[in-house]
Amino acid sequence: MKMKFALAAFLVASAMSLGLMANASSGGKDAPKDSSATPASAEQSAQNENMHVEGEKRFRSNCARCHAAPPKFPPRMMATIVRHMRVRATITDQDMRLILRYMTE
Amino acid sequence: MMCSFVRLRKVAKAGLLGLSFLFSLALQAQDDGFKAVPILTGSTAYFTRVTAGQFQDAPTVSPLLLLPLGDKWLVEAKGSYSDTFSKNAQGNYNGTISYGMAYGQIDYIANRYMTFVAGRFTTPFNIYGERLAPNWIRALQTGPLTSPVTSGSALGGMMRGGFPGTESLNVTYALYFSSNNTHHLLATDRSTGGRLSFFLPRQRLEVGASFQQVLQADRPHSSGVFLEWQPNRAPFTVRSEYVRSSGTKGSAYWIESVYRLSQIPSLRRLELVGRGEQFFAAANLSAATVKKLGALGKDTNEGDFGMNYYLRSDVRASASYGRQFVLGRNANLWTVGMTYRFIMPMLPQGGAR
Repeated sequence: MKMKFALAAFLVASAMSLGLMANASSGGKDAPKDSSATPASAEQSAQNENMHVEGEKRFRSNCARCHAAPPKFPPRMMATIVRHMRVRATITDQDMRLILRYMTE
Repeated sequence: MMCSFVRLRKVAKAGLLGLSFLFSLALQAQDDGFKAVPILTGSTAYFTRVTAGQFQDAPTVSPLLLLPLGDKWLVEAKGSYSDTFSKNAQGNYNGTISYGMAYGQIDYIANRYMTFVAGRFTTPFNIYGERLAPNWIRALQTGPLTSPVTSGSALGGMMRGGFPGTESLNVTYALYFSSNNTHHLLATDRSTGGRLSFFLPRQRLEVGASFQQVLQADRPHSSGVFLEWQPNRAPFTVRSEYVRSSGTKGSAYWIESVYRLSQIPSLRRLELVGRGEQFFAAANLSAATVKKLGALGKDTNEGDFGMNYYLRSDVRASASYGRQFVLGRNANLWTVGMTYRFIMPMLPQGGAR
């Protein structure tokens, strides 16, 4: 009986989380897809700086929990590593993009 | 004989064709402007262990192949190979080879919140198995007493992902189903379960819970909770896990703290580790069951202390001492050795965009 209750509670909690997920908005905070954009204005430069700081924060709070800070790898390798860690450590899509940007700057 | 040889050749040809097809797809893989490239990574290690006076030397290698396919797919295959040399009563060393597949899975990133996984994968339960188990990541080389309580591997399907709940909260989840497999290298239980965690990035605190239901034999279930915290102001990590099983495997918990001496210039590459843990055997076990369960049949207390020195970010020397208290069989646990994490692109243009 207890086991059934625990299983039901777990499934309800999971369903609620998926519901939250469906409602969560991207908020336009994802890293821009084209990282080769030229910093034409001061505003864009400030935005790039913000992205860098945010990327470093995300690296520290996600990756540094298990890993000593590695040297930065070539971008194509980093793209594979981040995809692997997204699955393994359930890193959010937003965090993954910021970390990839930070690690390839 | 001839027939089986021809069949083997056909299988080998098909395998090579399949592999070359996967590699050609891998060339197209792209993440945010960077074409993801197949890489071979993993670790090698050499450790000398002295457990209750018994010497063991164990070189190991654990390669991991990562093969991205297109924008949304990733094939991951991790193997392990070790040769353990134990000293016998005559003072000679006998080697025992062991090998296996830790996981071999294909991942499909369906959308930003959901990834589907199929194949053999590490069971999503708490934090040790999935995140801390590789020997170049774990802070102490001796595994915690919680590890044998749950099924560590699964063969089937899994859905997992993470999403930002609010500005300061990330929620991650994993749900899986595993089939029964009796192959000696790939053995898994028929089971289902999952994990849910809440991560506060500003506080760098994660708490979560896991559940696992075995769907065979006496159908035991396990539940667990975990916590990991890295304060912002100190190079310090504290982690903990608790697992409880309804069957004959009892319950256990561990608390581990890691302190990196990064504030002292001459010792900034050194980290100190301490871990305390207790295992409680299930109640009312018969003598025969206790004998069958081995280490899971008796209450155990253990304390470990260790240190890791990072010669480089990928080369680490480690040493630890532990004291295990089991009724009528207390033991000292010594470990000393090194780990090396390797990583290389599988294509010559690994670094180019």
